[in-house]
Amino acid sequence: MRIVHYLNQFFAGKGGEEKANMLPEIFEGAIGPGIGLQKLLSEKFKIVATIICGDNYITENMDSALEKIIPLVERQKPEFLIAGPAFLAGRYGMACGGICKSVSEKLGILAIAAMHPENPGVDLYHMDVYIVSTGSSIREMNEALYKIARFVTKIAEGKKLNPIEDGYIPRGIIENVEAEKTGAQRVIEMLLSKIRGQKYESEVSIPKYDRVIPALSAKPIKDKLIAIVTDGGLVPKGNPDRIESINATHFGMYNIEGKQILSKGEFEVSHSGYESRFVVDNPNRLVPLDALRFFEDIGRIGKIHHTFFSTTGVGTGITNAKKMGQKIANILVSESVGAVILTST
Amino acid sequence: MLLELANVNINGIVWSDRTFIEEGILHVNKKEIQNLLLRDNRLSDVKIELSSPGEDCVITNVIDVIEPRSKASEKGPEFLGAVDPYGVIGKGKTWVLKGVAVIVSEGLTFNNSASQEIGAIIPMKESTSFLTPYSKLHNIIVLGAPANGITSKEYKIALKTAGLRLAKYLGEVAIGLKANSIRIYNLDNPKEENLSNLPRVAYIFQLLSTQYEPIEGDPVFYGGNIEKIVPTIVIPTEIMDGAITAPYDSRYMETYFIQNHPILEELFLRHRKDFIFCGVIIMTAPNNAEEVERVTTIAANLVEYTLRAECAILTKAGGGAPEWVMMRVAQKCEQRGIKTALAFLHMGIDMTQPNTKPTTIFYAEEVDAMVSMGAPLGTIRLSKTERVIGKKEVFEKFIYKQEFPLRYIRGAFSQLGNSKLKAIRY
Repeated sequence: MRIVHYLNQFFAGKGGEEKANMLPEIFEGAIGPGIGLQKLLSEKFKIVATIICGDNYITENMDSALEKIIPLVERQKPEFLIAGPAFLAGRYGMACGGICKSVSEKLGILAIAAMHPENPGVDLYHMDVYIVSTGSSIREMNEALYKIARFVTKIAEGKKLNPIEDGYIPRGIIENVEAEKTGAQRVIEMLLSKIRGQKYESEVSIPKYDRVIPALSAKPIKDKLIAIVTDGGLVPKGNPDRIESINATHFGMYNIEGKQILSKGEFEVSHSGYESRFVVDNPNRLVPLDALRFFEDIGRIGKIHHTFFSTTGVGTGITNAKKMGQKIANILVSESVGAVILTST
Repeated sequence: MLLELANVNINGIVWSDRTFIEEGILHVNKKEIQNLLLRDNRLSDVKIELSSPGEDCVITNVIDVIEPRSKASEKGPEFLGAVDPYGVIGKGKTWVLKGVAVIVSEGLTFNNSASQEIGAIIPMKESTSFLTPYSKLHNIIVLGAPANGITSKEYKIALKTAGLRLAKYLGEVAIGLKANSIRIYNLDNPKEENLSNLPRVAYIFQLLSTQYEPIEGDPVFYGGNIEKIVPTIVIPTEIMDGAITAPYDSRYMETYFIQNHPILEELFLRHRKDFIFCGVIIMTAPNNAEEVERVTTIAANLVEYTLRAECAILTKAGGGAPEWVMMRVAQKCEQRGIKTALAFLHMGIDMTQPNTKPTTIFYAEEVDAMVSMGAPLGTIRLSKTERVIGKKEVFEKFIYKQEFPLRYIRGAFSQLGNSKLKAIRY
């Protein structure tokens, strides 16, 4: 089976930061970590070519870099693309994820990235591609290559993979399997191990949350442009953007220019997590335009932004929430919004 | 308190002009049951159907499943407070029909229009019998129609009570027969035994979530509703003997597995061997933060000072929000040095998390021992069926033609620990 390997300029031995703008190039055979990987793979697998690109070039020009890389991969007619391991290197991880996603979508071949679970490439791409989980630094190279080799061998055999056994980062799929014992038996055995000081393994973990430092309050707000953002699911009648009523993936922006209040009948609520009748009766209680217009009129605040932002906060995955938050924040900054009112239900 | 369960195994059910058991076959007199249940003037009509494992049949709009039981005395009491007014339960002898269930269905009431009005179903076919334990039972289905002028609430309570009454009526048939097996449940600790070296375990049983409006007057605990109860200590044999019925149309919790509570069974099995099972606390999951803080403190106080437990098992009811309530009790226990283990069906799982394990909707580092009982996901394609008990038209119009969510199959998922399901991320 033919494999194309992707490396950044550093791991390919082309140089450090000074080479980070290097354009994509292809070389025959295995290079750098690829040589070690080839040794761990059976004769069935052959790294036929290595593509190298500078981290800055690819992360800053993803689309055009991919336009160059995809044909280079295609010409090799490979069964696999392996990218990395990128460990904790952020730009490299994002490049590996981006290339794997694009190659598997466009060429339909299996693309596997490898990096540390906290690499920003994981957040962006773990739902789209297999990412083999590695240590944080180059010191853990041997172990990482061993895990990649084992993973590639197993996936080539067409076996069902499992993140814990096969060491990859789950892809947003949850399934039920049958355990050997009932939930009642397992929970009592777990408690017994815990009180006896024996080893036990929780079957459920607590999620990883980022610590968010609250912004300093935006005072004074007399001259500030104010925007309203809500996760209460207020949308114009008919829900034109089809904002999901649970686990939202996107947000809407709705014009309120010239409106003194939000009128009953013009809006509806797309949110399955709270009793929303009072909002339908008076949308201003979720998006307080009436009160803001009052303060705008008497000069206590600057202007009110011409749209409000709305999405649905129930069962919404952190990854999607983060993406939406970043997009909304970028718009707010680019439109010189000075203060935001966030309403939640 | 010593409870003796005399189990009589049933291997088949048939219609008859008399209700009795002969050679493991339950004979059922439909007319007699209808007359009994129609004494409740909140019901205008009662239909009784039978369905056995493997039959090409689907039961729709199932709101509860109940195991037929009766106290040894003909006067009961069974489902004290909900069916019989006086008596003592949780001790003495109770007769149980094993392999049989009363299925309570709302299938006679709604109009046959939308697919969601099919409610929860039980498919009886062999090919889907792995999905739910209830398709492996000989089922007696009770359907009732509301009398004129009866409110929806009154109707629901009447229908549920009809199911409980039928379960008692069938249980009475077993009285005096030769039991196939006898089980003894005894929580007493004789004074002379030195068991002080064993740890004391409590079970905190969350029974209801008020995130959806409960039915006023629903007979749940000794015939009373529990919407506003504070955490309460209950003797486990009382729970097994009909003190608690599932709140109306509960998600993932039926009376059948409260009577046969898997966690209580396990705790009794290991009682005085691995630990001292020192009691059960029942509680609800309130829908506001202030009340949550109060009831979780009360529960932790009872565990620490009244039950004097050193460790506790916790389960939950309802959707995602009660997970938080369960966590707060566990967290407060852990902060007092009481070790906890939790088991639950995941309701608010974040699919996008890169964790290798399923995750919670809360963040509490103290809570570190959790068992996954699966996530209510997945669908199945059901084939057209000869017989629909409930809403045939809806089933034929909507259900068998599309992917049917497993969460609408009664018994496919459970918060009470009977299932072996476990959620895994891929």
